[in-house]
Amino acid sequence: MKLEVTGLTKCYGTTRAADGLSLSVESSRVLVLIGPSGGGKSTLLRMLGGLEIPDAGTIAINSHRLLSDAAALQTYRRKNGFLFQQFNLFPHLTALRNISLPLEKVHGHTPAEARTMAEQSLARFSLIDHADKLPAQLSGGQQQRVGIARAVARQPEVLFLDEPTSALDPEMTAEVLELIQELAEAGQDIVLSTHEMGFARAVADQIAFVAMGKIEEVSPPAEFFGAPKSLMCQRFLSRVMRY
Amino acid sequence: MMRRPLIANVLVALALVVVFGWLCTTVFALLGTQTDWSKAWEYRQTLWRGWWMTLQISFAALLGSIFFGLLFMLGQRSPLVVVRWTCRAFLEFVRDTPLLVHLLFGYFVIFAPLISRPLGERGFDDKLIIGILLLSVFEGAYLGEILRGGVESIPRTQWESARAVGFSRFQVYRYVIFPQALRRALPAMAGLFVSLIKDSSLLNVIGVAEYFYNTKNFISRSYAGLEGYVPLAIGYLILTLPVAWLSHWLENRFRHET
Repeated sequence: MKLEVTGLTKCYGTTRAADGLSLSVESSRVLVLIGPSGGGKSTLLRMLGGLEIPDAGTIAINSHRLLSDAAALQTYRRKNGFLFQQFNLFPHLTALRNISLPLEKVHGHTPAEARTMAEQSLARFSLIDHADKLPAQLSGGQQQRVGIARAVARQPEVLFLDEPTSALDPEMTAEVLELIQELAEAGQDIVLSTHEMGFARAVADQIAFVAMGKIEEVSPPAEFFGAPKSLMCQRFLSRVMRY
Repeated sequence: MMRRPLIANVLVALALVVVFGWLCTTVFALLGTQTDWSKAWEYRQTLWRGWWMTLQISFAALLGSIFFGLLFMLGQRSPLVVVRWTCRAFLEFVRDTPLLVHLLFGYFVIFAPLISRPLGERGFDDKLIIGILLLSVFEGAYLGEILRGGVESIPRTQWESARAVGFSRFQVYRYVIFPQALRRALPAMAGLFVSLIKDSSLLNVIGVAEYFYNTKNFISRSYAGLEGYVPLAIGYLILTLPVAWLSHWLENRFRHET
């Protein structure tokens, strides 16, 4: 995926969540956003995913530009996938229905088709045994995996993951990260934000450091973790890698 | 350990039965000589017609209040500030004034001069239709607040996830928000529908021949007392109890689900 972001600004009240942010990535399969909480990772991700309209600036993904009208963004969202920290699934629907309902109502598949596709998607991540369970009957890790299965059920162009494991315990974190790595290896374009440094290093081919609404540094993981250029980045890494 | 509360329960129950029994026998003894149940039997046709009318009014106003409730709920969530404020102000006005005033003012001042004649010419009962309309608006105002509470109690991530999977604005409500919000609002809605049935008795002030109106007429014509009021209470209970039971059942059922 090719990414070109220039002068992106987004304000919530008086806080500038993104402050003239620019980012250029020539070609990357998995782009990982790292940085302190409240630094603008989520905001950037939400604008990239078409969930938030920037106040100023432009975004181009794979050289088509994101428009800022609601209808165009809806079309854009339909061909990508997005996963939040938690509560992604609709609690009144079973795991299977969570996946098949959007396929039916958004993408116009027949109920039978949608069901088959949803089953395939669940089976792919060995979740088929949980097909008829409600989200409340699944563990946090299983919920996130079903969430990912829903997001990739219709081969999204790009999959956006906003701290997908932040609400999980270490064991569940591992099962979700494994799944994400599997997807990356299968060739899925992914942009994700995370606090799991080891995972970032293993799975990313580009890492962007986001702090104070700006991109401080973009580099491949070896370089990023081995010899970070910016001072802010060095400080952050020395703090999070200490333990 | 188990015996002490048991004994206490039995004693209290016994005391209650004694007090209630004493009250009943005293009242019946005082009225006993005048109570003549054949009067009620004589007027059974009128009473039955009134009860049936109350059932129909309640059902129509139930549908009407759902319509207005949805309208008020959506109005308060409108992206236009003016619509939101107008809705808010109207709801506040409706909820803070008595239904009796709505009925008298709404019928005699607003609607009767406006649409009574055209309705009458087409063979409709204008009082009935205007009464149902006013009752629907009144209960709809409460329902609107209940629905708004339900919709606003759905966490933000649900709206976001729904948008993220590509649902349109309408689909977000239809497939994600309403099914969850209704589930949470159902017990309160059932409670409101019980109120609606009882409130329909106020339609007697504009002369709608519903159950209370017909019973009142029967009482004043035959000088009845208990013979009128006991069937009146039972008649309303027959309508409200199933709804109340339904509400408890729903409450229990959905408590376990989320």
